[in-house]
Amino acid sequence: MTTPVIRTRGLVKDYGRTRALAGLDLEVQAGEVYGFIGPNGAGKSTTIRILLDLLRPTAGEAEVLGQAPAAGGPALRARIGYLPGELAMPARVTAREQLAHLAALRGGRGSERVDALAERFTLDLDRPLRALSRGNKQKLGVIQAFMHEPELLILDEPTSGLDPLLQHEFLDLVRETSARGATVFMSSHVLREVESVADRVAVIREGRTVDVDSVRGLRARAGQRVSLTFAEAPDLAAFEALDAVRDVRLEGATLHCLLHGEPDALLKLAARSRVTHWAARDLDLEDLFMDVYRYGPDGVDGANGVRDAR
Amino acid sequence: MRAEILTSLRRVLRDHRRGFAIWAAALSAITFFYMSFWPTMGQAMVDAIEGMPQGLMAAMGYDRIGTAAGYLEAVVYGLLGPVLLLVHGIALGGRLIAGQEEDGTLELDFAAPVSRARLYWERLAAAWLLVTGLVAAITLAVLVSNPLFDLDVSPANVVAAGVGLWLLVGGFVTAAFAVGAATGRRGLAVGVVAGLAVITYVFRGVANAAGIEVYAALSPLSWFLRPDPLANGLDLASTLQLAAITLVAAPVGLWRFRRRDLMT
Repeated sequence: MTTPVIRTRGLVKDYGRTRALAGLDLEVQAGEVYGFIGPNGAGKSTTIRILLDLLRPTAGEAEVLGQAPAAGGPALRARIGYLPGELAMPARVTAREQLAHLAALRGGRGSERVDALAERFTLDLDRPLRALSRGNKQKLGVIQAFMHEPELLILDEPTSGLDPLLQHEFLDLVRETSARGATVFMSSHVLREVESVADRVAVIREGRTVDVDSVRGLRARAGQRVSLTFAEAPDLAAFEALDAVRDVRLEGATLHCLLHGEPDALLKLAARSRVTHWAARDLDLEDLFMDVYRYGPDGVDGANGVRDAR
Repeated sequence: MRAEILTSLRRVLRDHRRGFAIWAAALSAITFFYMSFWPTMGQAMVDAIEGMPQGLMAAMGYDRIGTAAGYLEAVVYGLLGPVLLLVHGIALGGRLIAGQEEDGTLELDFAAPVSRARLYWERLAAAWLLVTGLVAAITLAVLVSNPLFDLDVSPANVVAAGVGLWLLVGGFVTAAFAVGAATGRRGLAVGVVAGLAVITYVFRGVANAAGIEVYAALSPLSWFLRPDPLANGLDLASTLQLAAITLVAAPVGLWRFRRRDLMT
């Protein structure tokens, strides 16, 4: 197997007495679009800043493109595009000057793509940065991260501040970047922002990786909420005995339950009685993540289903 | 590919070009203004301080205010020049790494393919260029007004005093820059170094008034003015002493800056 583009093992970071990362493990393969999901304060930005050698780990290992960030130094950072979570820009210069400065810091790379990207994201390059709205500053952040076509993009909350149209444009840019072979590592506190582009997702909570899976796998595990209305109230105990079914409730003649895995057994049991109405809805992945956030790794232990943790 | 050389230096100069122009103009104007008092005020000064306590006058550096060199030293090189330049320069030194790290405007520079050492030296060099320009503005104002208002101080000695002022202010700017780079705390850097600058003034005053030599030995302002550059020209020992502030502070600041966490 090829070297992972990002790899951390047992990564620990303390700020004084506060433990921001408590043994984080990550492995991002070349060419992946990788979502890095967790609530605010889970350690996403701390991890990202270690990868860029802004912070030095307290313990554990981090490697980016096969090198420790501190050892890789400027030559390693030349291969990365970075979008900070909170982008502060000097007030007096124009967007064009700022991008020219950043291009010069990268040995001149990327300046030739500035105009095309600015047009694509409708950013006026000649206004001073202090006059730019939050959304426009975020556009500038996106442009500077992508303009030199780096091998690896590390994007901290990239879609925050972008309106839906530009979010769409941004996700297209991520797909194009991925298509040319680059790896994209993007954090978010909401899964919805990354689920349409990410191949895999890592969920972190309190400085630890609590779950890693493909988006499809997560969705399958999230399950479906099923409602069946019968001609006569069915036997609740028979449904509760089914393996794939949880959280069974009866409301008059309507049975509500949460289904994980194949619906076969449920349907066959239901078919013994007369069913007058049915509905099945994929559970929102956000619901799943709310549970992971609240209850930790045990809450998503696949076999038991999410709701059991309550 | 690595950063183009002097990118960070040029950026600092770009950020500060307007502030620099205003400061340079103001410093030359103030200097010129005070120099213009000399022909009318020279004798009046002598009369005015005659009744004053000797110790107080010495502490203020006004004991020789009746001579042109003494007036120039008391007003421009002992007071206005260092005070204004130190106020501006220490704030600048604290801002160039620590201040901009705190407000987040250096984050993309830190994440760029430029080493911390390069960033440090280029930004420090830019601070020195700004200080050089401001000291040059004062020096030029003195050189121009010197013949206009009959001060008759040797231009070579004016340049020598300029060199001393440059190294004194540059030393404090470097110290503020270095403490800021070492800690990432602008308030701390400015507070500590401004405190040292105040102590420098107090010690010089005490040394002059009471003749306690140990205070003079501890005050960079005394290192600068004791050899009387406006009368005697450049003093090698004093020049080296002033330069030592920078030569010590700069590498220590970098040593710590390369090892610590940024943006925390």
